[in-house]
Parts: sequence; C-alpha cells; structure tokens
Amino acid sequence: MLDRDTLFKLVMFLPLVLLSGYFLLLLGSQSTFFNAKTFIDQLSQADIRSAISLSLIAATCSSGIAICIAIPSAYVLARMDFPGKRLVDTFIDLPMVLTPIALGTLILTSWNTTIGQLLSGLGLTLPFTLSGVILAQFTVVVAISVRMLKSTFEQIDPRQEQVARLLGCSAFSSFRLITLPLARRGILAAIILTWARAVGEFGATVMVAGTAKGQTATLPSSIYMAMSMADLPRAVTLVVILIGISLLVLFGVRLVLERKI
Amino acid sequence: MIRVENLIAQRGDFTLGPINLDLGDSSYLTILGPSGSGKTLFLESCMGLLPPKEGQVWLAGEEVTRIAPEHRLTSYLPQDLALFPHLSVRENILFGAKRRQLDSVQVETRLNELLNLLDLREIIHRKDVTTLSGGEKQRVALARALLPQPRLLFLDEPFSALDAKIKRQLQVKLREINQQLGVTILHVTHDQEEAFMLGEQIAVMIHGQLQQIGARDDIYYHPATIDVARFLHNQNIFDMTVEEVLADGSLLLGNDIQLKAPGIVGVEKGQRLAAGIRSEEVMVIRPNKPIGPELRDNLFQATVDDILVFGGTQTLCVKLNGSNISVDVELPNCAMRDLGYAIGDELQVSLRKRSLWAIPMSCEHST
Repeated sequence: MLDRDTLFKLVMFLPLVLLSGYFLLLLGSQSTFFNAKTFIDQLSQADIRSAISLSLIAATCSSGIAICIAIPSAYVLARMDFPGKRLVDTFIDLPMVLTPIALGTLILTSWNTTIGQLLSGLGLTLPFTLSGVILAQFTVVVAISVRMLKSTFEQIDPRQEQVARLLGCSAFSSFRLITLPLARRGILAAIILTWARAVGEFGATVMVAGTAKGQTATLPSSIYMAMSMADLPRAVTLVVILIGISLLVLFGVRLVLERKI
Repeated sequence: MIRVENLIAQRGDFTLGPINLDLGDSSYLTILGPSGSGKTLFLESCMGLLPPKEGQVWLAGEEVTRIAPEHRLTSYLPQDLALFPHLSVRENILFGAKRRQLDSVQVETRLNELLNLLDLREIIHRKDVTTLSGGEKQRVALARALLPQPRLLFLDEPFSALDAKIKRQLQVKLREINQQLGVTILHVTHDQEEAFMLGEQIAVMIHGQLQQIGARDDIYYHPATIDVARFLHNQNIFDMTVEEVLADGSLLLGNDIQLKAPGIVGVEKGQRLAAGIRSEEVMVIRPNKPIGPELRDNLFQATVDDILVFGGTQTLCVKLNGSNISVDVELPNCAMRDLGYAIGDELQVSLRKRSLWAIPMSCEHST
C-alpha cells in the first residue's frame, strides 16, 4: 500500500513524465525522415542556405533594434513616474497578446496611411524586402524585451544610482557605470530570448514580407512552404536546424541565469 | 554649512515642511523621528535627489536648490549602504574620488588615513563586496562616502541592520570621524539612543515637521510639543490648569493635585497646560527620611499599583493617593532590591519642580 507522501509524489511526477515523453516523441519521430545525407543535400541548396542566413541576419537586426529601444523604455517604466504611465505600460504589452497575423495586418494597413506612404517614398518598402522581415520581427519581439528588462531594472536598488550621483556621477554616468553593469545578466537573457523569438517568428513576417525564395523566406516560412508542398525531407532538415538553434539559445539562457557567464 | 529655508517637499500624499534649519561647520545633527515622519524625504531634498516644491537649500553659503546632486560635493550613506556589487572593495572606496578626478597623491594619503581609521587594511584587497560581514560593509561604505572629502555627509539610518555590539563600535567610530576629520554630519534615525549618543544637536521630526531642535538635554527633559514628549517616551503627562503665576514658576491644578512647575513664558492664569516628568526623574522617598525643600514642593503619598520589569530597570506604577493620577517611576534593579517594594505598598514620591516640563495646549501639534 502506498503511503500518502509517495502517492503525492507520483501524482505530481506523472504530468512531467507524460510531457517529457510527448516532446521525445516529437523529436524522435523526425528521425524517420531525417538522415545525414539528406541533411547535407538539403544544406547544399541555395534557397535553404539563403533562408538560414536571412533568418540569422533579420533576427539579429530586429532583436538588436528591439533591445536598443527596450533598454531606455524599460528603464523609464521601471524608475520614473509620468502621467499615463499605466496606460503606456499596458499598451506596450499589446504585441504579446495579439496574434502575429493580426500584428502583420496592422503593419500592412499602417503602410497605407500618409505616414506609411511617406516612409515608402523614402525607400522603406515592406513587401518582399529584408526591411519588411525585420520590421515584422521587431514588432513581435520588442514587447518581450521591454517586459524582461523592466523586471531587471526593477530589481536593481535605485539607492545605488543615488549614491553614485552624490559621488560625482551625472544621471547618464550612474546609468552607464552602475545600472547597466548590474543589469548585465538580465540584458543578456533578454537579448538571447528576443533573438530566439525573432528567429522563430512566422505569422507577422509572412503577412508583411511574404515568402519569396531567396528574398524573404526565413526558416519558419520555408518550413511552412516545404510542408505545403509535401517536401518532408526539406521540412525536417529546416526543423532540425531550428531545433539546433533553439537548444543553443536555451543553453545560453541557462548559463546566463545560473550565473555561469 | 547647510541652511534650509522654508523647504516644502512632496511625495504622493505626504507633504514635508516647511522646514527651516541652520547647521554650522563640523557639527553633528541627528534628526530623530518615527518611521514615516519624512526624514528620508528631507535628506533627499537636501541632497538634490528630489527637487523641493518650495524653499531653498544653501551649502557653504551657496544656493544649491536647483543644482544637480553630483555638483554639491556631499556624500550619502543610505540605510542599505548600496555598495556596488560589481566592484571590488578598493574600487568601491575609490569610486567617488575617481569620478571627481581628485589629485591622486591626495587621494592616496586620504585613503591611508581612512584605512587606519576604519580598520580596513585587511579587507581592502577583497574582490567581492557581497561576502563582507555587515560591519565590514558599513566601514567600506563609510570610507567610500568620506574619501572624496565631502562638505557634508548625509546618513540615513546607517546602523539599523547591525547587531548591538558592532553598532556601538561604529557609532564610536563615527563620532571620531566627526571630531578628527571635521566632517559636518546630518544623520537621520528613529533610534533615540543613537540620536542622543551621536548628535551634538538633535532635531525631532514628526508628521513632516521639525517640531524641536536643540541640545540633548533640552530635547530630553524639555519637550516642546506633546508629540515630542510622547515620542521620547515621557510616560507621565498630566492635563493641568494654571492656578496661579508665581514669581519663581507657576502653580498648576488638575486631577485633584497641585503641582509647582518652573516658569513658563507667556503663561496666564486659567490656561490649560500639559505637564510632565520623565519616569527616571521621579524620586521615591523612604518614610521618615529627612528631605530638603526642593523635594517637599511636589511630594505625594502614593500606593504601588504594579511593578514592570525591563532587563536592568524596573518601573513602579504608583497611584497618587486622593487622585486618579498614575505615575511611572523608573528605578534600576539594584535600587528596587534595596527598596523591596511590592504591589499595595505605601510610599512617597516627589515630582521635583526642576524636572517638570509644561507645554501650553496652544503649542501642541496633536494631543
């Protein structure tokens, strides 16, 4: 007869075992369609290499821009009071709750306004361009960066900045010399997760920039196209590449959060 | 060194002031007050971290109200010390000197002086400030604040997280720093013992107002308001009326007793007063013991109502016979052992005239 403690542990463990089994099934089933030769053959194709490089370039640009905008925005939200702060704080979360397809639609329709036309006139066109991919990814990931960094800044004692001010630092110097170094781990984690989310972005990217091979087809949109044409070896190769990138990212986040970096 | 004129500051619904203060060079002022009285807000306004709503702050004759904190040449030691965890002990201490680009020879000399004064030689080469003990962190933070030779050092409850022994050592150290280095110190605390031990002058802040500023004895024995008296644990406060204004004081009447109190400026017959005496100032007189005229003035027969024991002291709660007034009498344990009183015992107590204080009711901030 099981005692109550053992029964409790079993009940709590069961969902974890089922979940792990489910993920193993998802990964293991890829081996049916995956082998090293197919992988190398697929990698030799120009459009796959283009999808990989486009994904990496676009994700790096979009997450870089997102982090640059998120750091000051998150700092303001964490440290300063201003009228309408709560509204702005809620508004910034919007991309996290909206489906990426809807976000893509918002971007496209905004490009039909006067400002959008003006930007198009300045050469910032969206359909079938790298700019379109970057803008779509940026729109999806920037809220994640702001949210993560706001939480990071909130955990840093503002007294440290105040002491630095009295020791001769300007507001900017105390931010640069005290706050940023103390936020280092949080910023690194935000960069990694933002980048990972950008690499995997699909809905908004397809809506805004389309899936032109060699032009705007990223890894996720290439997987979608391969599956829609029932090209399983190609789809699985792309999935394996995405899994590789994701595992690297998750490992990186772990290292950062466990203070090994 | 620092002069504050009609300073009013606001945070949320809380309003501080108007505050007026004038503190001379090399002096040590403790601002004493309960939590939430506005002490930290006052410091922030003086330091330039929070612009005041109204009023002016002057430092060494220069008006600095709108000058950024980094240009005021002051230092700050907050309650949580706020050491920079990403910097080593040495980098923490040298932070201000580097930011102010002080002369390296002078900095080295001053650093050596502080290392000796604060016993920091053994830990100056430690890399991780988070592994220091509470007392070590305190000394590093103090050295960091003092190295740039500030005109004024602001301390915000710096010893609240330390155990009693280390707290006492650092308090002594702080007094040495004030005396040896001549640093002007403005220190806020809720700890009365600390305020009275360190402050040459003490200001009592309650409900966002500086209710009294003065020397230790003035504050301790002659509170200016009922709030100050209560905050400083005056247990014996009586509601009285001026019966007669005498040449050498006043005759007060209330609760069926008559008290001779010291002279009070501007007091009139019939005016209501709050009169009080600290419990350790009440004299217990043995029966048949000859007493001088000073003790005879306010001498009452009383009965022991209760005895409360607090570590090294005991409080006799006595009821004055023929009145409903209760008086607390604080005595050291050794005196209590000698006297051997028990509940119900009869005794004589004297509320010495010179130990009594009285506050006209119109001066009260709240009752």
